[in-house]
Amino acid sequence: MDIDIKEALRYMGHRGQSIDYNTAKLLDDCIAELKDISKNSFLYEIFDIERRAEGLYLKGTTLVLHGKDIAGHLQRAEKCAIMAMTLGIEVDMRIAYYSKTDLTKGLVLDACATAAAESLCDTVQGKVKAEAKSMGFETTSRYSPGYGDFSIGIQKELTKVLKTYERLGLSVNESSIMIPRKSVTAIIGMQKEGCIKNSFKCSECENKYCLYRKDSDDND
Amino acid sequence: MIMIKGLKSEGFLIFDGGMGTMLQAHGLKGGEIPERLNITKPDIIYKIHKEYADSGADVITSNTFGANRYKLEGSGLSCGDVIKGALKLAREAAGDKLVAQDIGPIGQLMEPYGTLSFQDAYDAFKEQVIAGADAGADMILIETMSDIYEAKAAILAAKENSQLPLLCTMTFQADGRTLTGTDPLTMVNIISHLGVDALGINCSLGPKDLIPLLAQVLKYSAIPVIVQPNAGLPSILEGKTVYDLRPERFGEYMAEMAEMGAVMLGGCCGTTPEHIRELRKAITGLKPARSKAGKLTAVSSATTTVVLGEGARIIGERINPTGKKRLKEALKNGDMEYILREAVAQRDAGAHILDVNVGLPEIDEKAMMVKAVRELQSIVNLPLQIDSVSPDVIEAAARACSGRPIINSVNGEKKVMDGIFPVAKKYGCLVVALTLDENGIPEKAEDRLRIAEKIVNRAGEFGIDREDIIVDCLVLTASAQQKEVRETIKAVSLVKQKLGLKTTLGVSNVSFGLPDRELLNRTFLTMALTAGLDAPILNPMAEAMVNTIKAYNVLWNIDKEAVEYIRSCQTFKEIPEVREKEGSRDLRKIIIDGMKEEAAPVVKQLLEEVGGLGIVDEYLIPALDIVGQKYESGEIFLPQLIQAAETVKRAFEVIKDNMMQKDGKALNVNKGKIVIATVKGDIHDIGKNIVKILLENYGFEVYDLGKDVQVEAIVEKVINEKASLVGLSALMTTTVKNMEDTVKALREHCPDTKVMVGGAVLNGDYAKMIGADYYGKDAGEAVKIAREFFGS
Repeated sequence: MDIDIKEALRYMGHRGQSIDYNTAKLLDDCIAELKDISKNSFLYEIFDIERRAEGLYLKGTTLVLHGKDIAGHLQRAEKCAIMAMTLGIEVDMRIAYYSKTDLTKGLVLDACATAAAESLCDTVQGKVKAEAKSMGFETTSRYSPGYGDFSIGIQKELTKVLKTYERLGLSVNESSIMIPRKSVTAIIGMQKEGCIKNSFKCSECENKYCLYRKDSDDND
Repeated sequence: MIMIKGLKSEGFLIFDGGMGTMLQAHGLKGGEIPERLNITKPDIIYKIHKEYADSGADVITSNTFGANRYKLEGSGLSCGDVIKGALKLAREAAGDKLVAQDIGPIGQLMEPYGTLSFQDAYDAFKEQVIAGADAGADMILIETMSDIYEAKAAILAAKENSQLPLLCTMTFQADGRTLTGTDPLTMVNIISHLGVDALGINCSLGPKDLIPLLAQVLKYSAIPVIVQPNAGLPSILEGKTVYDLRPERFGEYMAEMAEMGAVMLGGCCGTTPEHIRELRKAITGLKPARSKAGKLTAVSSATTTVVLGEGARIIGERINPTGKKRLKEALKNGDMEYILREAVAQRDAGAHILDVNVGLPEIDEKAMMVKAVRELQSIVNLPLQIDSVSPDVIEAAARACSGRPIINSVNGEKKVMDGIFPVAKKYGCLVVALTLDENGIPEKAEDRLRIAEKIVNRAGEFGIDREDIIVDCLVLTASAQQKEVRETIKAVSLVKQKLGLKTTLGVSNVSFGLPDRELLNRTFLTMALTAGLDAPILNPMAEAMVNTIKAYNVLWNIDKEAVEYIRSCQTFKEIPEVREKEGSRDLRKIIIDGMKEEAAPVVKQLLEEVGGLGIVDEYLIPALDIVGQKYESGEIFLPQLIQAAETVKRAFEVIKDNMMQKDGKALNVNKGKIVIATVKGDIHDIGKNIVKILLENYGFEVYDLGKDVQVEAIVEKVINEKASLVGLSALMTTTVKNMEDTVKALREHCPDTKVMVGGAVLNGDYAKMIGADYYGKDAGEAVKIAREFFGS
């Protein structure tokens, strides 16, 4: 499991401050601990897209994707993969534990876990990409519920179709929050022609005061 | 022969196989509710059941795995109708065979992981059980559980609302644990004592990987064991999940499991009538094996089991307010954090089990006990010992406990036993038996033995195994009853020899009123251990006591080759560098640098010089202001800010302890009361915790209600504490609605209270829109708002 330290630091609101010995050690400890407890479970399935006026239907499922943003994202896609990943409940428990006993560590572990989740998403995306390639497709970037006008309410449906609770222990609560917390679902389009890089950018987000917001000159 | 209440079987009981995968083959769409087909396509369901019945299954499982109110929500289907329809179909297809009502997990993670409460889970299961019993199920199969706490909710719902035979299986991962961390021994220890008729493993892995797990279940389970594996491990083929273990191979594995001792066999995901046919064929001629499991005296948390009798096991005694001013204060204020700290410290010092006593005349013991049990089991993975005199409190705690606890205690009084044994039986608890009765504590060891015997016999009448009784022969103080100290030791030996039971003792009672208590305590401990003491109740923070046990474990040939002992001797404790001139290091600098460990000694020194309030005003607040400025200017970042805040918190702790000891009063820097919470439905609480610690640092009295807090709970706390400021946190667009509801309710019930809100999805306008008074974009802002509000 890879954890991008720069990314983890960004989640802690780091903007180039010098990192003292204690904080550096804490980071190392958290990363080691995370590697030990993280389950890194994931799965994905591939579906055919059927376009109708009401939205995008995914064949063989009850799923209908609504909203102009996801429609735009999958504009040229014939198929799409739905992926789900989770670091597992132990990570939540450990973060909760430190939040009560050593808040700094809780905070750092939480940020590292977010970075780890991000990295696992990249891995899964890579697998989808490879599989798509073998089927003669190229892939779009991944798009998750909550981006743009793609309602977070669909989280429940996505996880139901993938049976994530039974297979990964990943559930969605009444407020559409995924539990374990360090989990991601995303949709990746599969299309014949090349893809424009259209990943969701901080600059498109309405939350201007977000602690994690990347600076506009930040290119990654 | 298998006997489950009314059910008898001369041989094995064969269950059917997978339903979901069969339905998919019949065109069930991904995401579609499989239970809907009981009503819309009954012919398909009937056909599948019939195929299983024809393939040799003795038990047909109804298509009701997900027939709970949560999974059916928004489908237009009712739990009752679905279950009724499903059982009718199963019954028709089963003919003279048996029908099991299938109950799967709710599909949402329960507290403390998620937001589904134990009671809500119980209510959902109860609805299913009542519907199933009405529809004529022959037995209930609770299956594919990942969370032992959810399994417990389902089992209690089944037992309290039906008389049907009850089976329960859990699903394990390749690491040998369930998703929420339960191992096979722990599963068996908890579930078998909740009164199920059979237990086992299903789903999980393919049969091959399941065999070692099954071996463990069989090793510990005294009740019949059921196993229902998948048709191999799932693999992804062209983006779809498939199971591909051939029926013949499946049959071979199942025969192997039957030989190992499993008596109820069936299949899960990916298995078909063909698999069941092969299973039936493969076990022909085999005879069910008898359980060889011996009974253990074992106590469990949801993830750990401690077996008594395998070396001395320490029961930590510190969560008990008797003689502890600081703990009393914490209990009165509902300060769970202090209790959790005590728990963590005891575990780190070597405790194996934690005694929990929260009895104080001025608090609601039952509510506090339940709260303490829930909080403790969410943070510390040690088994618990519920310590109370009230059966009512004990029952509430036993119900709330996710593991298998010990009840402390009963004694030889009939009234006491008859109050507590039914609770112990129902919740499968172990019980500490004090060797005293109506006439007090007998002087002679023989008489104490007699009481122990009486208690064991009475327990037996309630159906409680003798292995589940832990005898406490009672320690008397050497200063008052010197000659009876020996009697206790003698009584321990007698109980061991004559009754063969496990024993416990509250060791440190022996030294009351005498100097150098530790010397007496550890000497007495050694004597008691050699006499057969299994689980001393003591203060694990007393190093000499813990070390005595380590030494005993070597000398009594328990710690083989002294491995543990040598290891513990090698881990030298890091000795904090002793500073030559105490106080030479400025407390302000320590805080700014976030050197948490260094705060306490300096504060202790300063207490002499400037007193508690002086430290707060001259050191803590100025240092915090500097840290705050550094954070705002971007010189330091969040972890460094919090490190400093935690250092201040440590300093506060020292000041509080000191004032409590000296004046018996709480530190009063009260700059205002603030109630904070992450709103209902939301589980993100790191942000809120950061706000909390900073507010506390500035001397505000903060009541933290935690995460996923109901509207009513927030209103109630605000009213009770007369708090004039409330801080609410929500991180999702979906939970901001609950925040708005909370603000509305606060307006209605406490119009004078102001509300500040924060969270990633909020901004100033949004905050106004939902009716909040203040918006804090970060923790620093929240502190500013509070300081301005209270004018400090």
